[in-house]
Amino acid sequence: MTQDLALMTEGLHKSYGRVHALQGVDLEVRRGEILGFLGPNGAGKTTTIRCVLDLIRPDSGTIRVLGIDPQADPVAVKRRAGYLPGELSLESNLRVEGQLRYYSDLGGNRADWDHVRDLARRLELDLAMPIRNLSKGNKQKVGVVQALMHRPELLLLDEPTSGLDPLMQQEVYRLFRQAQANGATIFFSSHVISEVEAIASRVAIIRAGVIVEEAEPDRLVSMAMRRVHVRFQEPVDPAPLGQAEGVDLVSQRNGLHATVQVAGEMDPLIKALAALPVADLDIERPSLEEIFLSYYAGQEEVSEHVG
Amino acid sequence: MWAEFKHTLRRMRGQIIGWSIGLGLYGLLMAFLFDSVSQIEGMEALIQSYPEEIFGFFGDLMAITTPQGYLDIYFFNYMTVIIGIFAVSAAAGLLAGDEERGTLDLILAHPLSRSALFWGRMAGYVVALVIVLGVGWLSWVIPSGSSGMGLSPIEFLRPFGPLLGQLLLFGMLALLLSMVMPSSRSAGMVAGGLLVANYLLVGLANINENLKAVVDWTPLHFYQGGYAAEGLKWGWLAGLLAAAAVLALLGWWRFQRRDIRVGGEGGWRLPSLRRMLGRRPEAEGQA
Repeated sequence: MTQDLALMTEGLHKSYGRVHALQGVDLEVRRGEILGFLGPNGAGKTTTIRCVLDLIRPDSGTIRVLGIDPQADPVAVKRRAGYLPGELSLESNLRVEGQLRYYSDLGGNRADWDHVRDLARRLELDLAMPIRNLSKGNKQKVGVVQALMHRPELLLLDEPTSGLDPLMQQEVYRLFRQAQANGATIFFSSHVISEVEAIASRVAIIRAGVIVEEAEPDRLVSMAMRRVHVRFQEPVDPAPLGQAEGVDLVSQRNGLHATVQVAGEMDPLIKALAALPVADLDIERPSLEEIFLSYYAGQEEVSEHVG
Repeated sequence: MWAEFKHTLRRMRGQIIGWSIGLGLYGLLMAFLFDSVSQIEGMEALIQSYPEEIFGFFGDLMAITTPQGYLDIYFFNYMTVIIGIFAVSAAAGLLAGDEERGTLDLILAHPLSRSALFWGRMAGYVVALVIVLGVGWLSWVIPSGSSGMGLSPIEFLRPFGPLLGQLLLFGMLALLLSMVMPSSRSAGMVAGGLLVANYLLVGLANINENLKAVVDWTPLHFYQGGYAAEGLKWGWLAGLLAAAAVLALLGWWRFQRRDIRVGGEGGWRLPSLRRMLGRRPEAEGQA
């Protein structure tokens, strides 16, 4: 089973003094998938990624990256992974190419320079530009290129499209999909739901240092509470609908209109409706954003945690 | 490690060039002035009129007419402090500086062990110091043929050994402190402060006998200055280098085990006076 996993964490705890950044993160990223790591600022996304790369050491818990313990052999993990930090800082006295060559040298000159030039062309990044003259968006492009330039098996990306314009974001999504098609696994954090919906094959939601949900975006939507508006052909008593499993009767009007809330499968509601003369049905499906927000409703303590 | 070594030297090239030019020009000037200074009439009478405290700080001023004394008084006596500023500030920022700029995170995300990063940078730092001191040595050797100092290149080279030892000792102290203190600046200030304090203490101990017992345990007690031209005290030099090596190893050990900081986590925080007095800060009350 673990051979199918590119990344696995179990019971990951990390505290900074009295601040509990991670409180038992259990996470599985399968090989070849794109997993979106969703959470607001301070939920523990960056801390998790930095633990995975052995930049910080967890207080307790287990981590395996491509089957390797990053604390036992961090270099072996980093040789096979690409990383883009959330707060990207570059050497301001270098040019873009110099910066990329430096990163490449650190790994034993492992970058494919035809690939680097292709990435730079697609991202409209001038390799001759001094870093100090780059805008935030262009610096982010340097970050994207350095993460991809050695064709890593696993990409760990912290807010990868931060600072990029929408057109460039689309190009970066295409690069990620292409990397996935070539066999790479992508684990990226974001607080932008549309981004996660656009490229993730699965989503993990972190809240206050704990993973609260892990599923495919479609499944998350289907599992969420839906509202169903029913119009009847003639006045009926809709009370039996509320007795069906997972169904709550929210309102009814003149016996001709009823609104119910359904949690889980739709089957009990459909069976209850079969006994009634239904004229029309309208199902409201929540967006991923609404689901995400529902996990955070009333979670004021989230802001007290470090991301 | 090689990549980090090259990168460190490339990054320090501005400091290397600046300090080399400064030290080189000063050395050349002093080397050319030796004949003039040593031949000033009435020099000995003038020096004897100096207050005792001056002798305390600058050593045997009567030796100014000898090459070793001249080297010591005009160069090596205070170069520990002058070049010490460069040595301490560069060492304090060697790794912690990158951490504060936020660049260390991404560097260590590449397939490079912490040991390779540490020792690669250390090697670059040591070579940078050697280059600066090498230029200083050349600045004395090149004009030696036309000055009356009469020392050989080897004799000029000897005092640079203890100077390098002192610089490495205080530099490694700064590096170690940067691994445990909240910022490179605070580490540099503490290490630099200790260097200056040690320098002043040595001077004061020459005036006040009671301080000698303390000074005997400080690094600068084991510094020969310009008099090393006559012959090195190898035991002292080995002791200085060994102490520097121990500090470097402690810094490496700490770097292996610590979190790489971003955003200030893991830093020291002074206790809040408001909290100690049981008052809530206004910002918290408004939040």
